[in-house]
Amino acid sequence: MNILLTGASKGLGLKTTQFLLKKGLTIYAISRSKTENLNELLLQYPDNLKWLHYDLADGVNVRQSIFKDWIGFDTPIHGFVNNAALAYDDLITNLNLVSLEKMYHVNVFTPLTLTKFVLRQMLLHNIKGSIIHISSISVHTGYKGLSMYASTKGALEAFSKNTAREWGEKGIRSNCLVAGFMETEMSSTLSDNQKNRIYQRTSMKQPVDVDSVAETIGFLLSDEAKSITGQNIHVDNGTI
Amino acid sequence: MKATILEVFNTIIENRGNKKLESISPEMHLKYDIGFDSLDLAELTVRIEADYDIDIFEDGIVNTVGEILKKLEKK
Ligand SMILES: NC(=O)c1ccc[n+]([C@@H]2O[C@H](COP(=O)([O-])OP(=O)(O)OC[C@H]3O[C@@H](n4cnc5c(N)ncnc54)[C@H](OP(=O)(O)O)[C@@H]3O)[C@@H](O)[C@H]2O)c1
Repeated sequence: MNILLTGASKGLGLKTTQFLLKKGLTIYAISRSKTENLNELLLQYPDNLKWLHYDLADGVNVRQSIFKDWIGFDTPIHGFVNNAALAYDDLITNLNLVSLEKMYHVNVFTPLTLTKFVLRQMLLHNIKGSIIHISSISVHTGYKGLSMYASTKGALEAFSKNTAREWGEKGIRSNCLVAGFMETEMSSTLSDNQKNRIYQRTSMKQPVDVDSVAETIGFLLSDEAKSITGQNIHVDNGTI
Repeated sequence: MKATILEVFNTIIENRGNKKLESISPEMHLKYDIGFDSLDLAELTVRIEADYDIDIFEDGIVNTVGEILKKLEKK
């Protein structure tokens, strides 16, 4: 199985890449940086891990650079994990349009364009594929400063549900994995006090285990999940 | 070229589990004569693109077999 995954250089994307490689899948991984951890994986899995330096702020060259020149139209794609994202957080009263547009390009416009070409590749090869967007608990529970970021994830959730409806009869599935707060670089700017307040709002009162999220992505990609589509699957330590 | 287009049509028709076409002609309407729905047309676009590297729907709607052939000839 060939999986396209964005944001493989660190955090959840790195963990998921590692987990899927262990399961024997082939990963087409995208990020801007080649971190030490990613490089180790590339050396460990020279055949099954392919990496492309690509900045998702650029939606224009998706077809040429990613699908035509790198993956190749002859390669079937069985799954797409839309994981890369940028979190621009601030109060709405401070909204900066340039930053907001950049975030929408990385989190929404380019992932939608990637989905276009993933679907086309699945159609070409008759693949009943699986698409997974990584969403965030901030769509469902409000946090001060996250409204703009949450709005990009809300867009993905709406897109995913409608993708499921549109392409379900071809056997193609689309789901969102709604992650709660994880200890990654993305959340590293939060103070301990802020983090604790966030964790207090979960049933389990602790950060979400990144491995548990990676495992759930693996499940949603697999055949065992073949009847699950159009859903938001929460892996969030029970945020209520 | 007509023969490869017929082959592409039949791949889509067979994927649907329907009876293959014997032949096609330029005036045939993709929707009303051949019975393609919007998802079939999407699959058609993708398969023609794979063979000819041209997106037939990129600049507007295509209705008939003849219109496809014209686009491919222009290339
Ligand atoms: N951390 C949390 O608490 C949390 C909670 C809910 C949901 N999420 C979601 O989970 C997903 C993973 O987040 P994370 O916590 O693992 O974040 P992270 O540690 O900041 O990793 C983000 C990944 O996205 C890539 N990326 C960012 N901008 C990019 C661009 N312009 N082009 C290409 N790649 C880009 C980064 O690679 P490069 O920098 O090398 O390009 C990196 O690999 C995201 O969708 C995030 O919104 C996170």
